[in-house]
Amino acid sequence: MSKVKVIPCSGIGKVYGLMAREAALTVTERLDPDATETVCLAQLVTGTDEAIAKVKGLPCITVDGCPSLCAAKSVEAAGGLVKQQYRSMDEMRFHKGKHAGTATTLTEEGWQIVDQFAVKIAQRADELHKEETANG
Amino acid sequence: MADQLVGILACSGEECLGGTLSRLATRRVMEVLRPNRAVTLCLPLYIAGGGEERNFAKAYPVITIEGCSKHCATCATEKFSGQVHDIVDVAAILGAEVALSKTVSGRDLTEAHQDMVKIISRAICAKMDAIV
Repeated sequence: MSKVKVIPCSGIGKVYGLMAREAALTVTERLDPDATETVCLAQLVTGTDEAIAKVKGLPCITVDGCPSLCAAKSVEAAGGLVKQQYRSMDEMRFHKGKHAGTATTLTEEGWQIVDQFAVKIAQRADELHKEETANG
Repeated sequence: MADQLVGILACSGEECLGGTLSRLATRRVMEVLRPNRAVTLCLPLYIAGGGEERNFAKAYPVITIEGCSKHCATCATEKFSGQVHDIVDVAAILGAEVALSKTVSGRDLTEAHQDMVKIISRAICAKMDAIV
């Protein structure tokens, strides 16, 4: 059974990209490494056969920073099945007045937001993994 | 031309340490070492963005910062935008074993990682200065 792919945009210009990256890494490295893994988005952008093989026909969760939805569009272009899309900027609606940090580093508040966001992503990944397991 | 802007494009790869270092070194160049002389772009915007993003390599001399020998940022730039001017390869500088080691979250960065970022960022600056 393949793992659910959790793929962030890792945008480099704003804090939202860093939040997306750190949330995805928290899921795949800390919360649920047995059922999830990440894939280099840059490799998917190249569109090589090797990159496409990593996601084609497989369940993916994309974690974007902004409305450009770079991760979701790139995964779809590579043939991945985007079962769930998230945007870290949307998470900030639940944390009004808080300062998450910059594109380089997160504040303590930023890490708290990322950790809560990661739990939400991990729960959805767990659901998808169970569906995949049930469907064989 | 001392005011020549240079495009710096990190792979930001999520699967290995080299990608994290490429990203952090790029940010360090932009914020600390060469502020106002470097511009960057989110790599996947080549697919998700429009014509402006695809003109990136035509508008600026581009240095790609690669976390590993796959050279994804270079491949994507040359596929969607244009030729790159130069490449900084983390694996070539720090060794493939280091570059391909387990990825590291920002919360787990050590002093050794920060030293690596400084080495990579200085390599970027050397290539930038050769242009401007």
